[in-house]
Amino acid sequence: MSDHFRAFSFVDRILSDKQGKAIVGQYRVPDSVREFPVALVAESIGQCAAMSSMAAVNFKYRPVAGIASVVEFCGDAFPGDILKLEATLTRADEEAVAYSGVASVDDKPVAKLLNCLGPMVLMEDFDNPAAVKQRYQLLVESGAPPDAFGGVESVNFESVEKGDGEREGQFTVPHEAAFFGDHFPRRPVFPGTLLMDLKLKFVADLIANLDGGPWAVVGMQDVKLRSFMPPGEVLELFGKVDKIDGEQASILVQSRKGKRRNSSARVMLAKKSL
Amino acid sequence: MSTEISQAEIDAIYPQVAEIVADALGCDEDEVKPDSSLINDLDAESIDFLDIVFRLEQEFKVKIPRGKAMEEARGELSEEEFEQGGVVTDAGLAKIKTYLPEVPAERISDPLKSAEIPKLFTTETFCKMVVREQKG
Repeated sequence: MSDHFRAFSFVDRILSDKQGKAIVGQYRVPDSVREFPVALVAESIGQCAAMSSMAAVNFKYRPVAGIASVVEFCGDAFPGDILKLEATLTRADEEAVAYSGVASVDDKPVAKLLNCLGPMVLMEDFDNPAAVKQRYQLLVESGAPPDAFGGVESVNFESVEKGDGEREGQFTVPHEAAFFGDHFPRRPVFPGTLLMDLKLKFVADLIANLDGGPWAVVGMQDVKLRSFMPPGEVLELFGKVDKIDGEQASILVQSRKGKRRNSSARVMLAKKSL
Repeated sequence: MSTEISQAEIDAIYPQVAEIVADALGCDEDEVKPDSSLINDLDAESIDFLDIVFRLEQEFKVKIPRGKAMEEARGELSEEEFEQGGVVTDAGLAKIKTYLPEVPAERISDPLKSAEIPKLFTTETFCKMVVREQKG
């Protein structure tokens, strides 16, 4: 069975859509997956907003990951949960999409994306425009069959402590993975939200050893993806303590390809109440 | 067009623009100079241009229309008069030099590919974009 609209698709129903303005959708986390990390919840919100933006430009363009000013981690999503996805778009044209959104379970927010900006790219370079349009119509009309997503294998990374609150590492984008069949069929690239998940794991030791803790990860800020990550690409990782300020702290984490910065983000921490 | 904007108007907003450029590109503010080419000197990618324009619009409460810079660089020339086969014409080069007086002449190569025009844009170029929109 094809991985298209299965291996990395996280909207299975569109409940309402004022194309390019506001959309409400939903996604049922399959029972069979081991976990559904918050990065994939963020991906769900982004994909929901993407559907509305693509409809607004008649599927000639599609957005790709760019910038998220704020990502808030409010709760957890578990297998069997139904995510309600809501996004408000302030821009959807052939150049970019700008939106904010939230994913909720039983009316309780699980994740929020605030002030996101994604460049639009020519759809036909990444996917079949007619197929994407057909998918949108399916989501609006009857909804997609649930339980298509079978989980994502973790990407391994190397990590070395450098002292002084710094960490370095490296990871290789898999050469093959099911999600490439869906992200995207005509131009496979490593999803920005999987990079987000990898970064959170990469800085886990830094967080555990940070003075003044224990600390909980409450979100990310200034998340930016500057270039595509094709299969097999090797990227260096850098993490360092950015700020400790009373009850809050942040860790700056970047990925680079040689001298060129590929991505950056701040992982936001709050002191856990004991 | 560019002579309508005074240096005082540019200087008034330069610190905020420089801070936005530094934040967007993840570099120190002291690396950002008025004549820094965002692409050649500060390693900006196309997403960074989108990010910078977005932040400028929010900071200064203006709308910077898409493609505005290129449209203004062309002036009253038609697209055919401005570039041929992806290369800027002599008339087009003259227009660019008038539109971007802040760019050192030696950076404007001849021949110049139209796709390389964004490489000429400096921090001051973005200051002028903002001032133009503020003046309506």
